[in-house]
Amino acid sequence: MLSKKLNSFFNPSSIAVIGASANPMKIGGVIVRMLSEKFKGEIYPVNPKYSKVFDLKCYSNLRELPRTPELIVVAIPAKLVPSIVEDAGKMGVEAAIIISGGFSEIGEKGRILEDKLKRVVEKTGIRIIGPNCIGVYDAYSGVDTFFLPEHRLRRPPKGKISIISQSGAFVGAILDWASKEKIGISKAISFGNKIDVDEIELIEYLADDPLTDIILLYLEGFKQGRGREFIKKAREASLKKPILVLKGGKTLTGSRAVISHTGALAGSYELYRAAFKQAKIIEAEGFEELFDMARALQSMPYSKGSRVLVLTNAGGMGVMAADALEKLGLKIPEIPDHIQHELRKHLPPYCITKNPIDLTGDVDDERYRVVLETVMKEDVVDVVLAIVLMQVPRLTERITDVLRNSLKYGKPIIACMVGGKFTEVIVKKMEAEGIPVYPSPERAARAVWALCTYGKWRGVKIK
Amino acid sequence: MMKDISDPKKILSNALSEGRKVLLEHEAKELCLHYGMPVAKSYLARSKEEAIEVAEKIGYPIVLKIVSPDVLHKSDIGGVVLNIKSKEELVSAYDNIITRVKTHNPKAKIHGILVQEMVPQGLEIIVGAVKDAFFGHAIMFGLGGIFVEVLKDVSFRVVPVTREDVLEMMKEIKGYQLLKGYRGQPPRDEEAIVDIILKLSRMLEELQEIKELDLNPIMVYEVGKGAKIVDARIILEA
Repeated sequence: MLSKKLNSFFNPSSIAVIGASANPMKIGGVIVRMLSEKFKGEIYPVNPKYSKVFDLKCYSNLRELPRTPELIVVAIPAKLVPSIVEDAGKMGVEAAIIISGGFSEIGEKGRILEDKLKRVVEKTGIRIIGPNCIGVYDAYSGVDTFFLPEHRLRRPPKGKISIISQSGAFVGAILDWASKEKIGISKAISFGNKIDVDEIELIEYLADDPLTDIILLYLEGFKQGRGREFIKKAREASLKKPILVLKGGKTLTGSRAVISHTGALAGSYELYRAAFKQAKIIEAEGFEELFDMARALQSMPYSKGSRVLVLTNAGGMGVMAADALEKLGLKIPEIPDHIQHELRKHLPPYCITKNPIDLTGDVDDERYRVVLETVMKEDVVDVVLAIVLMQVPRLTERITDVLRNSLKYGKPIIACMVGGKFTEVIVKKMEAEGIPVYPSPERAARAVWALCTYGKWRGVKIK
Repeated sequence: MMKDISDPKKILSNALSEGRKVLLEHEAKELCLHYGMPVAKSYLARSKEEAIEVAEKIGYPIVLKIVSPDVLHKSDIGGVVLNIKSKEELVSAYDNIITRVKTHNPKAKIHGILVQEMVPQGLEIIVGAVKDAFFGHAIMFGLGGIFVEVLKDVSFRVVPVTREDVLEMMKEIKGYQLLKGYRGQPPRDEEAIVDIILKLSRMLEELQEIKELDLNPIMVYEVGKGAKIVDARIILEA
């Protein structure tokens, strides 16, 4: 298995940092410092200029190390990289993360170096992430080559979301933001020029990684000819766990699609979109939506169908939610008469029981409970979008228990809550109970859509 | 018609050896036929006598189309005559086409004239394909006329496509309702479209030389009554 070999990037027994520095403001300094704080295996700084880096003995070259390291992190000028990596490969080093820039991204001169590096992979079998990347972050093993100091880039809590990114700066910003939002992250990989390991192999690896529940991918473009392989492998992987993608570079297309034959209509973004659908990958429109969907997919069971119950205590918000859901192709079926009849026994006559179900402004926690129990136990809807506006006087924080208890029916529940300080407290409690909450009906609707779309795929048997 | 179907690879290499990247219409149709797609009955006649003979076999009404590598937009110069109902009409249409092509371009190389059955009107769709550097071949689907040309209401899938992919790509276009039947129009034979696209997918996988393809229009009839490819255009890679 190829993927098995990638393990050396995430869980090596030892790491050598080529280009280590005693200066904590330099790349080779930040990397050694971050590793020494969290990584539990052996760390070997390598740089002929130093005998010590922080508290660690520093070696002048790889051959001097007491053992062959499993992984090397390379942060030295580009022109020195191919020969050092070749030497490492011959020594039996399994994997190299090449941080250094100055390869194909700078033009012909760099292209020649990059080709040399590719030949090193072919000759020695060493695996490479990069060059021109920020490498790997693994919250569990402590591998962290993101050379951005902790006071600038806070590391998020441990979690089960993993991120693969073509852009290093993007994934760096995501980690920082995730730490602020307290979103748990498992692994993050920036693969730069991807001369060896690319998004396809990383998806395969993460699909089998027990510490990853969801894979997020930021993609600008494939290498030539890799599109079909991507579809095939991502399709297999997305049967194991959800993959969400954010595509950068979408807009070249529009201007090109001016004449009528197929060639002109097939702007490349059109093909990426088609490929994502064929690969059963869920495409997010933007950064915010990427995490909106990820939160829902992570905490909720997948929806077994596309029938949505919209439950609200504010008529207008219910209408907005219904509009957004219908635009996404989801259904809001009218509740059958006999169930409406049952509901009316418990609700005041002015409540609307069709769907959206409007419990009106004098709602209390009990009304939510009655509706959820009565409707969810029947085979009428597959997923619930509950709008809970806490500005009304009789709702209490016990509404969180009501929603959580209703998860016993095995159907996902998404909440939409809009408001100020008081609402915020309840939102926190709701999320602590595992119910994802969104600040607008539209965002909640997209989260519902993601649960339905992925649920549909998981319900499909692969041929 | 076209009983002795040639080897597809031969059609391609023959065109390339003659320095042609654009296949002649009958060559493009032969490829489609070879992969089992429903193509309007047609035959390349190399003389007027042959055209008359073929027309009788196909049965009137028929269509005549010029086949020449030097004429790209056949109808613009009067290289196509529709709805020919008799031998007499055929004779005069045949001569007219030749005259008009010669007037337009005296040096035009004429391979012959395509005699084609006049297929009944159906719902017009377009199925196309392109070869992309990143994905290889991708297939496009859309409804004919303004839906593609003005509204760009099309969907794409990367080859190879599955049956499920094709069903999705049909449903994805905004005009899908027209296939389902609208304002007294009968629902159309979606299975026939699925069949064409799956066969096209196989053809593209086997013929990597194809750079661009348009099956335009394809007439789609009522459920159970199939579909027919009326025109086919294939461009090869250099």
